[in-house]
Amino acid sequence: MFEVLSVGFALLVFPGFGFLFVCALAFHWIDRRVAARLQGRVGPPWFQPLADLVKLMAKEDVLPIGAHQAACAVLPMASLAAVLTAALYIPVGRYPLRAFEGDLIVVFFLLSVPALAYFLAGWMSGSVFSIVGGNRSLLQYFSYEVPFLMALVGPAILSGSWSISAIAAWQSHTVWMALVQPVGFVLALVGLIGKLKRSPFDIPKAESEISAGPLTEFSGRKLALWQLSLQIKTVVGIFLLVNIFLGGSAAGMAPFPGLHVELLEAVFFGVKAVLILLVLSVVGVLYARLRIDQLVSLGWQVLAPLALVQILAVVWIGVG
Amino acid sequence: MNVDLILEALREGFPTDPLEPQTMPIDETIVTLTPENLRPAVQMLITRFGLRHLSTITGIDTGDEIELLYHFWDRQGLTLRTSLPREDARIATLTDLIPGAAFYEREAAEMLGVVFEGHTGLDTLLLPDDWDSGPPLRKEVE
Amino acid sequence: MSRITIPIGPQHPALKEPISFLLTVEGERIVESALRIGYVHRGLERIFQDRNYVQNVHVVERVCGICSHVHTTTYCQGVEALLGLEVPPRALYIRTLLCEMERIHSHLLWLGVLAEHIGFTTLFMYTWRDREIVLDVMEELSGGRVAHAVNIIGGVRIDLDRDHAHSILARLDELERQIEVFVRIVQHERTFQARTRGVGHLSAEQVRRYCVVGPVARASGVDVDLRRDAPYAVYDRLKFRAIIAQEGDVWARTMVRSMETIESLEMCRQLLTELPEGPLAVRAPRRVPPGEVVSRCEAPRGELVYYIRSDGSDRPARVKVRTPTLTTLMTLPDQLRDVNTADVPTVLSGVDLCIACADR
Repeated sequence: MFEVLSVGFALLVFPGFGFLFVCALAFHWIDRRVAARLQGRVGPPWFQPLADLVKLMAKEDVLPIGAHQAACAVLPMASLAAVLTAALYIPVGRYPLRAFEGDLIVVFFLLSVPALAYFLAGWMSGSVFSIVGGNRSLLQYFSYEVPFLMALVGPAILSGSWSISAIAAWQSHTVWMALVQPVGFVLALVGLIGKLKRSPFDIPKAESEISAGPLTEFSGRKLALWQLSLQIKTVVGIFLLVNIFLGGSAAGMAPFPGLHVELLEAVFFGVKAVLILLVLSVVGVLYARLRIDQLVSLGWQVLAPLALVQILAVVWIGVG
Repeated sequence: MNVDLILEALREGFPTDPLEPQTMPIDETIVTLTPENLRPAVQMLITRFGLRHLSTITGIDTGDEIELLYHFWDRQGLTLRTSLPREDARIATLTDLIPGAAFYEREAAEMLGVVFEGHTGLDTLLLPDDWDSGPPLRKEVE
Repeated sequence: MSRITIPIGPQHPALKEPISFLLTVEGERIVESALRIGYVHRGLERIFQDRNYVQNVHVVERVCGICSHVHTTTYCQGVEALLGLEVPPRALYIRTLLCEMERIHSHLLWLGVLAEHIGFTTLFMYTWRDREIVLDVMEELSGGRVAHAVNIIGGVRIDLDRDHAHSILARLDELERQIEVFVRIVQHERTFQARTRGVGHLSAEQVRRYCVVGPVARASGVDVDLRRDAPYAVYDRLKFRAIIAQEGDVWARTMVRSMETIESLEMCRQLLTELPEGPLAVRAPRRVPPGEVVSRCEAPRGELVYYIRSDGSDRPARVKVRTPTLTTLMTLPDQLRDVNTADVPTVLSGVDLCIACADR
């Protein structure tokens, strides 16, 4: 009985859906506020992301006549389900909800489901603009996903495990991966920007000649679910990087002896996560949007080779 | 642009045309030609004097006839004036010599009912597709 | 590969004003384009004939929102020439001051819009924020941020005193510092260059064939600036350079317009410090003796031409307006050929269209 309750609590409240929901809104607000201040604006008040979601839930939910109604209803839910499932394996604090050897790969694939759902949404929603946006999102997917995966492979090799929590634990008594694999860390950040379709890689959705890209025709509850899944994906992606590269909740090179270790660990985790978020926000504000062919060139001519070099370096040093 | 040289060349090339050069503000010279000679005159201006900049083409319904004014510019202004009969306002196009004349001819065509022979694309420019009240700048049209 | 037709407009996120393009696309490249304008045609040339010269100043102001002052300048200049009026120097200085401030305002607006279209929202926010400085000055001077109603036939109707001139000069210094930042961004920022270099190319020959003037022409190496070559108002007394670039693409046009903004700031300084004393206007008779005039000015977008014919009454017999955007529109099919569909908003913004001007 207690088992059921505690698992239920973990799944729904902390560190499950409730916690992720609150984090998603908080991160989204920080992002918008930082971007606004950098642009000389004020930015929205703290409750804006919540207000946006609530408003969308209340709005009319229509799709054009040519759209595939069933698919368009399922896709946003699939996207949300995938990111929430991926969160199961990512430790917030010392231990994840579940872990097994190889969960890094599983999480990687789960985080790809939203991208595929996004592309399908473009094709299924029945407008020329969404189809073009969907095509671009698929091209973009192939350009950043490979370097991103390769960047994650490095830490796995070095720590000798394909489990996220194991990689994080390894760092707590040696050294942060970001320090020994800086190239990999940068590539993972760049890959994350592409995955989250943030500026300067927001090509599929914010192109001024294809309206809102694949999600152009979505409205009301479906759009709310899309936005929520993207916001939670942001949180999950950042938590993943904190665990893989910044030592998870480890306070430093060696654990602190002392009281309230767990509180300290949670605080450190939060600080690292927000730091990555700030980097993403600032980068988003600094540049103009790239064109899809420019991103593809960047992905295959720069990012992938660098990732390869990083992996080779890790293998060579590890073996030697 | 040397106005005197141009006027001399025009007198030589088109001795039967009235010409009657006048200066007008602002730093502009105006010359009158017959419709048939307008295109050859423009051709001469382009080849001999390198005068290619056509600012615009003004069309006026004076009541007796349709007047067309071609405004050229190169440091100073030169306007070529020609008059067309109201019932049959036709003149050769300039678009092969000066592609930039395209829109101006289209506008004169739709506003005043002038036909520019040889212009491949005299569709309405500014008026709506279903306009059927006649060229708006003609005096008889309300 | 099969060809698809993509409609851009009349309503579209990339367009500020209604205009319609039908792009025939093969893959990601544009093969052909067809253009339709006239969505904002108000029949102004007919309206001019039904109103007297003074009422027409009001109508002329509303041909365009952004370049309203240069329209009234060109018109009033023309009518003043027909009347043989000698406009007092103080009025001419104030007229020129507003022309240049309008140029600054227009170029900053344009830079923001271009930045927004290539996804560089930060630059858009900055340029429009600094544009407020200019708009505030124009509002203090004339009472309106965009439609100033400064020109009357015979002079101007506003004035400024020495203290006001000093406060404007201080703010212009502040604005110049900001604009220099923008110029640096345009020159060095790599993503901006990646999106604008080589896009929307026009050669000098194409510019001459279509009779384009203005920043688009100067960006392709054609050295024409009406303020220097056919000086009006007090431009013959001002020291300034015409900015020329050679590359002929959207990046070159951005450089030209940005540097022109700095030149305009310098001209505003000269105008404010050398402002002569004197009356603001001369009395203009209502009836204009018969005659014709061709009046030209360098609007922010290029050559603006007014032809006015008077018949001795108090109404013009004909007013013909040729706005620079109409000419630039003719170059668009050439510019859009072989362009990537993603660059269409960039090309459209690069030429700085003002459809209200083109349609009248």
